[in-house]
Amino acid sequence: MLDLSRVAGQIGEMIGQLKAGGQERQEHLVRALTLLVDRAIDFETLKRKASQSKTTFLVAGLVEPLGSHVPPGTIPSDFSIIATDGSQIDVDRHQSARCYLINIGRVRLDYGNDSGAELQSLPQLCADSKDLVISSGTKEQVVEGALLNIKRSVDECRHLADMAAELPKDRPALAVIDGSLILWGLSSKEYPDFVVEQLLDKGFIKCLDDMLKLAQERPLALSSFISFPRSTDVVNVLRLAICPHETADCDKFCGEINIGKRACDAVSGIQDRDLFDSLLGVGERSALFTSQSKIVRESYGRHRVNFFYIKLEDEIARVEIPEWVARDADKLGLTHALLLDQCQRGQGYPAALSEAHEEAVVTGADRRNFLQLVEISMADEHMPQTTSAKARSKNARWL
Amino acid sequence: MNETSQRLGEVIEASTTGFTAQCYELYDLPPLGSLVRTGDSTNGLFAVVCHAVTEGLEPGRKPIARGKDEPDEESIFQSNPQLSKLLRSEFSTLVVGHRKGGRILQYLPPQPARIHSFVHACTAEESKDFGRTFGFLNILLNAKIETPADELIAATLRIMGASYADPRPFLIGAGKELASLLGEDYGKLKAILERIKP
Repeated sequence: MLDLSRVAGQIGEMIGQLKAGGQERQEHLVRALTLLVDRAIDFETLKRKASQSKTTFLVAGLVEPLGSHVPPGTIPSDFSIIATDGSQIDVDRHQSARCYLINIGRVRLDYGNDSGAELQSLPQLCADSKDLVISSGTKEQVVEGALLNIKRSVDECRHLADMAAELPKDRPALAVIDGSLILWGLSSKEYPDFVVEQLLDKGFIKCLDDMLKLAQERPLALSSFISFPRSTDVVNVLRLAICPHETADCDKFCGEINIGKRACDAVSGIQDRDLFDSLLGVGERSALFTSQSKIVRESYGRHRVNFFYIKLEDEIARVEIPEWVARDADKLGLTHALLLDQCQRGQGYPAALSEAHEEAVVTGADRRNFLQLVEISMADEHMPQTTSAKARSKNARWL
Repeated sequence: MNETSQRLGEVIEASTTGFTAQCYELYDLPPLGSLVRTGDSTNGLFAVVCHAVTEGLEPGRKPIARGKDEPDEESIFQSNPQLSKLLRSEFSTLVVGHRKGGRILQYLPPQPARIHSFVHACTAEESKDFGRTFGFLNILLNAKIETPADELIAATLRIMGASYADPRPFLIGAGKELASLLGEDYGKLKAILERIKP
């Protein structure tokens, strides 16, 4: 059990520290905002510096002037939004039957003439050896935990591409994914190449290829939506602007300097959302940026992830789009306007994503019912059910 | 039985004293007090609609006001097309009789309704057939439900009465039965009689 009375004091201390840091944060924010709109900073010079520097932090690629703020266009009278979300029941090593379950929520909302909605919840039970592991032939990687999360993201994108194919050709539409378009989990060195190839090149990127093909012949755009983003790749551009060296090289020039004491730390502790909350009017989007993360540069190709920030009534959200949306003025405008409209209909969060989440969610009770159904079905077929002593002790909490 | 009478919904909960049915179409609820039936011609149940509700499909998801900037109520559903898929209309009933061997018996059946059985509205003929005797009034008077008993009885009698070209003989008969059941509770009797005046 959690002794809340012992935690309460610690929470108080945490809040005290947050308050103490507030003054410094405010100063850093003012410095950052000043830089953002400083016309003396040459855009092309900064862009060149960003592309040539070797930094220990991720820096956004520049596309439009930093201080840009773009109002939304009008939405079409008839349009559709498709969205997917997913959740899973992971492999339970204390359970007799080895399997996992991915539950995908699929939503299509049609607005205007022929308004309508399709809401579906599609569970997929994976117990086959080809689902339980990713195999290269000679090596195997078990699908569970973080890797199962990634596989689920790929499935969400696959379902989105399938739904996009069913949209009428002439109807403007936006496909929305929750979270990032960048499969960050695969960028760590943790997974061998054959796993990355299976999930990314042959998985996620293949879905994006299919979406692109569809988008080439219809008014379809794709984006992801990140609520309350923690990213700092735009603030890090400002670090470069402050950096006194012509081309930055963090390890070389500041490798010996403590974090907090470097020149660029004048804007530390600020996140992109803080920056754009001050800069943008409600409904406006920021300049476009590109993600310079390694996995995007190496694997995304023509789907290179671009992003912008959008100011909603209550928060700043980060919107990620593939390059083929970013460079198409119509698709970019459609994405901006429709996402804003969705957030207005959804009390601050895209309505279609909310509903997709509701369709996807697997509650604790759902999980227990599923496990029980597996056990009952096995018992009906007189299959041996082995479980661990640990699981038994958790289920029967004896005194 | 007339199988072409309107199908109102499907039983989703059932007990000895009543059942709850979900409508196929939102708001397509039978009126309070109307007589419905479920089951087949040999073992059907008769019930009176005693309560209705429209609410979110999932427990814990409550509707919120959405129409501040909309011109009319219809526009709310146009602007939020997922709403009609996330709401459901349900009605609850009190069982007031059942069929056995071709006869209608106005007391509780041996078995409750079956889950997923269809619920049909009773036709005027079925209603008149059922209303030949007034044993069902005792069931309605003694039921423990949210809807006040006098409202329910009055609604039931108004609707049953409407299946006659001249409802007065039926209503007078019902009034006499109520008088004998309610005995000295003159206030309650008066409340019901006032609500069923043709």
